[in-house]
Amino acid sequence: MISPYFLLIPILLPIAGGFSLLFLRLPGDADKKRNLYLETIVLITSILVWTAVLFVRREAVQIISLSGKFSIGFRPDGLSCLFAGMVSLMWPLVMLYAFEYMEEAQKKNRFFAFYIMTYGVTLGLSFSYNVTTLYTFIEMLTLVTIPLVCHYGNHESMYAGRKYAAFTIGGTGFAFFAVVLTTVYGEGGLFIYGGSLHVSRMTPILQLAFLCGFFGFGVKAAVFPLHDWLPTASAAPTPVTALLHAVAVVNSGVFAVARLVYFTFGTEILSGTLSLNAALLTAEFTMVFAAAMALKQRHFKRRLAYSTVSNLSYMLFGILLLTPAGLTAGLLHMVFHGIIKMSLFLCAGAFMHVTGNEYIYQINGVGRRMPVIFSLYTLAGFSLVGIPLFCGFVSKWRLVNAGIEAGRAQSLSGVFALIISAFLCAMYILTVSVRAFFPVEGSDRYADRSDIKDPGRRMLIPIVFFGILNVLLGIRPGPLIGYIEKIAKGLL
Amino acid sequence: MLIFLIVFGPFILAGASYMIGKKNENCRDLFVIGATAAELMLSLLLFYAMPSYRIAAFMTEDGLSFTTDGFRAVYAVITAFMWAGTTLFAKEYFSKERENLNRYWFFTLLTLGATEGVMLSGDLMTAFLFFEILSFTSFTWVIHEESPEAVRAGYTYLFIAVIGGLVLFMGLALLKYSAGTLSFDALREAVRVSADQQLILPAGICILFGFGCKAGMFPVHVWLPKAHPVAPSPASALLSGILTKVGVYGILMISCTALMGNGIFALSVLLPGVITMALGAVLALFSVNLKRTLACSSMSQIGFILTGTGMMLILSSGGNREGTGIALAGLTLHMVNHSLIKLTLFMAAGVVMMNLRVLTLDEIRGYGRNKPFLMTAFALGALGISGVPLFNGYLSKTLLHEGIVEGIHCIKGYGCLFSVIEWIFLISGGLTFAYMLKLFICIFVQRNRDERVQQSYERDRKCMNKPSCAAVFGSSLLMIILGQPFVSIRLIRHMTGFEEIMDFRAFTAENLKGAFISLAIGAFVYLTVVRRVLMKDGSYVDLRPEKLDLEELVYRPLITRYLPSIMGKAAYVFGENRILKPLSGICLKAAIVVTRILEGLTDGCILLLRKTVMRERKVKCGEETEPGFLIRLSTVLAAGAGQLFSNFSFAMMMTCIGIIIVLCYIQIFF
Repeated sequence: MISPYFLLIPILLPIAGGFSLLFLRLPGDADKKRNLYLETIVLITSILVWTAVLFVRREAVQIISLSGKFSIGFRPDGLSCLFAGMVSLMWPLVMLYAFEYMEEAQKKNRFFAFYIMTYGVTLGLSFSYNVTTLYTFIEMLTLVTIPLVCHYGNHESMYAGRKYAAFTIGGTGFAFFAVVLTTVYGEGGLFIYGGSLHVSRMTPILQLAFLCGFFGFGVKAAVFPLHDWLPTASAAPTPVTALLHAVAVVNSGVFAVARLVYFTFGTEILSGTLSLNAALLTAEFTMVFAAAMALKQRHFKRRLAYSTVSNLSYMLFGILLLTPAGLTAGLLHMVFHGIIKMSLFLCAGAFMHVTGNEYIYQINGVGRRMPVIFSLYTLAGFSLVGIPLFCGFVSKWRLVNAGIEAGRAQSLSGVFALIISAFLCAMYILTVSVRAFFPVEGSDRYADRSDIKDPGRRMLIPIVFFGILNVLLGIRPGPLIGYIEKIAKGLL
Repeated sequence: MLIFLIVFGPFILAGASYMIGKKNENCRDLFVIGATAAELMLSLLLFYAMPSYRIAAFMTEDGLSFTTDGFRAVYAVITAFMWAGTTLFAKEYFSKERENLNRYWFFTLLTLGATEGVMLSGDLMTAFLFFEILSFTSFTWVIHEESPEAVRAGYTYLFIAVIGGLVLFMGLALLKYSAGTLSFDALREAVRVSADQQLILPAGICILFGFGCKAGMFPVHVWLPKAHPVAPSPASALLSGILTKVGVYGILMISCTALMGNGIFALSVLLPGVITMALGAVLALFSVNLKRTLACSSMSQIGFILTGTGMMLILSSGGNREGTGIALAGLTLHMVNHSLIKLTLFMAAGVVMMNLRVLTLDEIRGYGRNKPFLMTAFALGALGISGVPLFNGYLSKTLLHEGIVEGIHCIKGYGCLFSVIEWIFLISGGLTFAYMLKLFICIFVQRNRDERVQQSYERDRKCMNKPSCAAVFGSSLLMIILGQPFVSIRLIRHMTGFEEIMDFRAFTAENLKGAFISLAIGAFVYLTVVRRVLMKDGSYVDLRPEKLDLEELVYRPLITRYLPSIMGKAAYVFGENRILKPLSGICLKAAIVVTRILEGLTDGCILLLRKTVMRERKVKCGEETEPGFLIRLSTVLAAGAGQLFSNFSFAMMMTCIGIIIVLCYIQIFF
């Protein structure tokens, strides 16, 4: 078994690697060298993460002591291994995709530097052992992703960047209140399954702290009314929207909420409180609301972004049910939604990259020209709707079951909201497929565009990989569910 | 193993047919015919083997399970038979268009596998899996032509299928929670001992709704009259003959296991069933399009079956075993009959369609004259569906009627309701006769209004080739075979295991009376309504109220317009206007106040310093004086650092001081 200090290597390696890329002064056209450099770093990091997941002792190490109970340190437990493992599977693949997608882009050094720095920060976040560390890394995550959102530098993306910064930094400011209070009231905010607060019930100030924490970290998870940055941020390049704004950044919000609910406050004192109900109802409202908004969007990526908002609330709903079944379902949906949304965004990106179009009405008929991309899009879409045989079904089935099992009026209404939002989801996802494959006579925009075809290998490999994972985990989710169930019961 | 081949074989063959089709289309057509024939052979083996099959840990922890009994085996065979028949016919039907056929065959074979999967499923989860697969694979049939109507109908079909699937999903979750199992065998017992009785009924209603979407039950029938006419005819035959039956099958399965004997559930099957039955018949009567009429007729016949299901449930909740058995017998036989009748009729419609490319009654009028095979097939189908004695529909309708009569006699307190239902039943049966008469007379008796067109129709004696003829005519002969009581009663006994049915006498005066009342009503309606109202100046007029379309009037606006706008409004009012904007305003104000205060503080500090330590000494004239220590120090510092850097370092210093103060505060006070 390796000492937990080992965790510092995968966390710092990408950060250092990205930082040095900023100063390496590689010429803009040295693609091959840069790609090799980046892919090596990312692959090594992923291998290190898996080594850490498998072999590092489940102990806490304190790296920096700030003052009193405030400290920075790391500990690999089940939840962090799940999150880090998921992210580390995705990063190398999306890097491949990004190489092809960003081929024509400007300022690639800056882009890729921040892109892999985000990787390190995300890992740091997932391995953090108390709320202070979590909070620090969440703030860092915001800072390193802002340049990525503004990458194109045009009016739209600068606006998106500003909005992103204002929402996330401002929102996470709320969380600071929760961080201080939980640190002070308990074991320095350590993450212990079942809660680490030295209180017997929720005082009003603690309720306020919980709400602040929920909405503060929830900004990252795009909880209504703080969801607005996510659709706007779809102005960023697709590798960013796909990996960061569908998986890493937004799931870190969900992850933080899970930490807050199960590992800091604890389900025992939270259950039945006003603040919890408020959070639960917000999540339920967000599900339906965001799905309805997605239906109204005409911009392809924006529609997917709203869909992410809706799905993030599924996870929050599962987590806020406060039962092991709920947490299992929520975390399962986190993993599966990551896979699905990755496929969807990468397909959308491929479409935008190949055709240069970005609106839904421009999709008519493109399915015949790009059959692989849009078949995989459709399969991922089925999965998102919750059609059996795909992984989305499994997590939705678990969520609905957990909701019914919890048996309270709030959770049953959540199940109802989930069904409505799944129906809306079918409408906004499948209309795209129908347009792509079955254009109404005469509306086929690509009938004589033989230059449009499926993108190159580097883009296809990740998409196909996620497509396979989608079906595979839909058919045999057993082992993964077993692992997550153990986490949810606090056994890992 | 046999079940594995039957269910998953078509999935593999579908891929193979796609590959072959890319190389050679003729080969693919032959391959598909061979595949469906092989499927038919395999499913016939089910009668001998009666196997069951499990795949552990597939999708959910329970895995998939398949089982066979009389009913399932018969329906598996009928499914395979219908596929084989339509495939035989489709070769000629599609000979004129070669576009998208690979896609068509690929999805047709997938649907075959999925349908067999539902029919042979041993638990609800398996049924649900295959049900969803066939919902989506059959979508390509509806949208096959890619005309604007087809795409619109396709969307309707797709969304009804999705919402049905999701509600079904919800029902399954409820049932799983309250009963603890989804296996058909264990469900009845599990529901009886379940602790959560109050959840069983909602679960049942959700499942009814979900399967009802596919069956075309009112109020989610809207897709059916739209989707069937736009699909290619072989596909319409399958949509109408089998896919609606999949929905009915699901309802039947849940009725016979979990909700047997539940009175409220019985009524919630019965009443929509009656409405579907009557509504479908009326819509069919008003329609002026051949396939649309047949589609509405399907809807009406599904209504008959659902009425039978409802009666069965009511009789079973009343504890009437014999009545339950009769109703069950009637509805299973009617399912079989309707599948086969619609196979024949839709293929006959396909013959018209592939030769003329139109389906409006005025234009196809007189086409069938001089075409004996087509006429016989269509006539047999029409006689069967109208319930004329000696043809197959008679027997099943009589049994269904018997079930309702049983209800009138046995269930106290509801006798009046059942009398009304009986009359609706008889009138719907009459309307069936009326619209089939309308179609038959239009196509095969009347002459086209344009004499030249009529002549060209009559010159064209050969309307189909030999395989198609075999498919259409061969399937129509089943109407007569199944019309014989000794055949169909044995079939019923095999399917339901209800032994007393052997004592049933088909041609008693009582039973014949019911049939003749229906037929008389039908003839009367034809002579009055169809001839007087629906035909103006010798041509058929479309009196269908376009405005009263449930979909256009309610469903589409509700989802595409009202829901997003309500949600958007809510977001605007509660989110952006009422919370975010004031909040950011307050934050800004607070920030301004805080900075003002801090600004004042710094000014005060500077002032204080100037007044005390860093006071400028008054310089005496003519005398050089040493500047103070602090002033010297600050000059050195300022000289040492550049303008920019000093600003930055000052900011850094202030930050550090701030952090130190915060930390000290925390250290001291907590």
